Amino acid sequence: MEIDLSPADLAFRQEVRTFLTENAHRPNEDYMKWRMNWFKLAREKGGWDVPKWPTAFGGPGWTPTQHYIWEQETAVHNIPWDLPFGLGMLAPVLMNYGSKEQQDRFLPDIRDRKVNWCQGYSEPGAGSDLANLKTKAELSADGTHYVVNGTKIWTTLAHIADWIFCLTRTSDAGKKQQGITFLLFPMKQPGVEVKPIITLGGAHSVNMVHFTDVKVPVENRVGEENKGWTYAKGLLQHERTGLAGISRSLVALEKLKEQASSVTRGNGTLMDEPAFRAKVAELEVDLMAVEFTELRSLASAAAGGDPGPESSILKLKGTEIQQRIAKLTVEAGGIYSAAWGAKTPGYAFARGGMSSYLSSRAYTIYGGASEVQKDVVAKNVLGIKKS
Amino acid sequence: MNFNLSEEQQLVADSVQRFVQDNYALEARQAIVGGADDFSQAHWSTMAELGWLGLTIAEADGGFGGNQLDTMVIMEQFGKGLVLEPFFASIVLGARAVSLGGTPELRAAILPAVMDGSAQLALAYAEQQARFDLHDTTTRASQNDSGFVLNGHKSMVQHGGSADYLVVSARTSGAQTETQGISLFLLDTKSAGLEVSSFLTVDGLTAAEVTLDNVQVPATHLLGELDQGFEILEQVAIDGILAVSAEAVGAMEMLYKDTVAYTQEREQFDHALSDFQVLQHRMVDMFMEYEQAKSLLYRATLEVVQQGVEAKRTVHALKHFIGKTGIMIGENAVQLHGGMGVTEELRIGHYFKRLLVIDAQFGNSDYHLEQFAA
Repeated sequence: MEIDLSPADLAFRQEVRTFLTENAHRPNEDYMKWRMNWFKLAREKGGWDVPKWPTAFGGPGWTPTQHYIWEQETAVHNIPWDLPFGLGMLAPVLMNYGSKEQQDRFLPDIRDRKVNWCQGYSEPGAGSDLANLKTKAELSADGTHYVVNGTKIWTTLAHIADWIFCLTRTSDAGKKQQGITFLLFPMKQPGVEVKPIITLGGAHSVNMVHFTDVKVPVENRVGEENKGWTYAKGLLQHERTGLAGISRSLVALEKLKEQASSVTRGNGTLMDEPAFRAKVAELEVDLMAVEFTELRSLASAAAGGDPGPESSILKLKGTEIQQRIAKLTVEAGGIYSAAWGAKTPGYAFARGGMSSYLSSRAYTIYGGASEVQKDVVAKNVLGIKKS
Repeated sequence: MNFNLSEEQQLVADSVQRFVQDNYALEARQAIVGGADDFSQAHWSTMAELGWLGLTIAEADGGFGGNQLDTMVIMEQFGKGLVLEPFFASIVLGARAVSLGGTPELRAAILPAVMDGSAQLALAYAEQQARFDLHDTTTRASQNDSGFVLNGHKSMVQHGGSADYLVVSARTSGAQTETQGISLFLLDTKSAGLEVSSFLTVDGLTAAEVTLDNVQVPATHLLGELDQGFEILEQVAIDGILAVSAEAVGAMEMLYKDTVAYTQEREQFDHALSDFQVLQHRMVDMFMEYEQAKSLLYRATLEVVQQGVEAKRTVHALKHFIGKTGIMIGENAVQLHGGMGVTEELRIGHYFKRLLVIDAQFGNSDYHLEQFAA
């Protein structure tokens, strides 16, 4: 066993730090200009603009340890915002299952952050039980296009998306997982209607999307008809590991300590109060453990093995930790956490604390509710068979 | 031993329940939240007409002479509808402070208008540096020929924006954190130098920041003895804790019942969600915690009414439990509703938000556990 990074990894970390520091956003610098230039410079570093893409598609080909270093460093440095849908979710599907034409057509615009994608998965009757989806795609008589009808829900940023990758039902025969087809089509066209859903944090980021006779050319189908579930499944796994957010939680916990130290009471601060201190300390212990759980998982992946059973707990533990940090931020804000809006009193951190906490309640719901995740672990990892 | 409501209390409970059912469906409530007023003036008038605003005011002052049990009955039903009218701010807190500390003349001048709903009160006690300590007060009042002059800042005054009078705690002697030396004053919100800025809180209610810049108050508007205001403030806070706890218990009941109903309707994996044992047990936990909260609410309220020696300690136990349990039940109700739980479209999210705010009102769960153990 070996805990230290190798000299090569240490050198890589230094290189990453230098890049992130030298190209940090400067005060008064035009954000969008900086953002696009940042991606250009990252690309010139050898695919740092698409860290997770394989070398065959222009990615950097990092080792798992290098990915881990990147994630740690980008959690503390300010990097441009990015959306995961095209870059992290659709792109791997296209690389594995898309045609050469589809790869050439869609990947460059994803890489250049030119086209925003959204994900058409969940439906009102298909949440945790995603395979139950009913949005229908019917092949036209001449076989040139599909006609899509149905409703998707929880579609993140559908209102600003240019395109959607969408799971549709093309057959009712056999198991529910069979008969699902993976289609790509533009959002800004007749027959696509986006309705906002306002979430408890007060934000509009998710939507309900209705499709009425939307025509999708067959060349926009990824892979084979009725095989979409296979393509989507790998993607879900990817989504789940990405949701643990451990590096971000480490940063958030440090911030929480600072915030709590700014909350006065008598001659001390909130960080002097035993009950609060104990909760922060417990969080820190859990984070230390989960950080190493992630490293163990990375190490076995680096050795060429499967991620190992420990990886199955990352999303469960990681999201729970994010929620606990958000909850303590609300507690730290005290009466001011109730204040809503920009011109409110009290601590600056309390202003967004409540809406972050409320949003965080969704972390144990989306991408597979925790209860369902635990069923999967019981079955696949513990090997428990249902009688 | 008897834990049943009296006949009169049952009548009030039924009448408040009907009011909530008729007027506080989620859509009707949210229409008020988005409107021009902080609450519905029509509902407020109804409450006055039905006698609810005078229920706990002494008979000598023209009320019905009720106690904390009567408040509990009303607030528990209000919790089920997430009622927006300032009953809590004006009656439970404001009128109580005036009743406890006001001279007969002041009570006669103020309370009739409070009971008929034409005048509204609010309690301004919180200050940022104090966290949850009622006695940590930097707002100052100094005596002059015409009475007192107040300077300072009060925070998060519930329904302060629509109030006609504020009950304000201010230091008249002693150091910042001493209980001695705090006095209470009744301030007309139209007074020169008094600035009130109101904003929406996450639960759909409103709060206000209050700045006092050489605000002149007549000596007759001192509530209680000079320097001895803390005792009154503490009693008012105890009533406030009992009242928001009753409201919380009402909200918790709706949360667990809505969850039980939803999981029986919603199907995933070809089963109603309620078929899954892990979810059944979670709902049983929610139910158990709700019943435990209700028990502590009854216990604390009865002890306060009977002025039991341990009453204050039991109130700490109650508020600790309400904060902890309210959030536990709220989080699980959201979790079991899945995606729908995190939207504004179902009422469960709104109960959850109110419970989060209640946790911090008059000290959060940790604070009261600390006080309980002290």
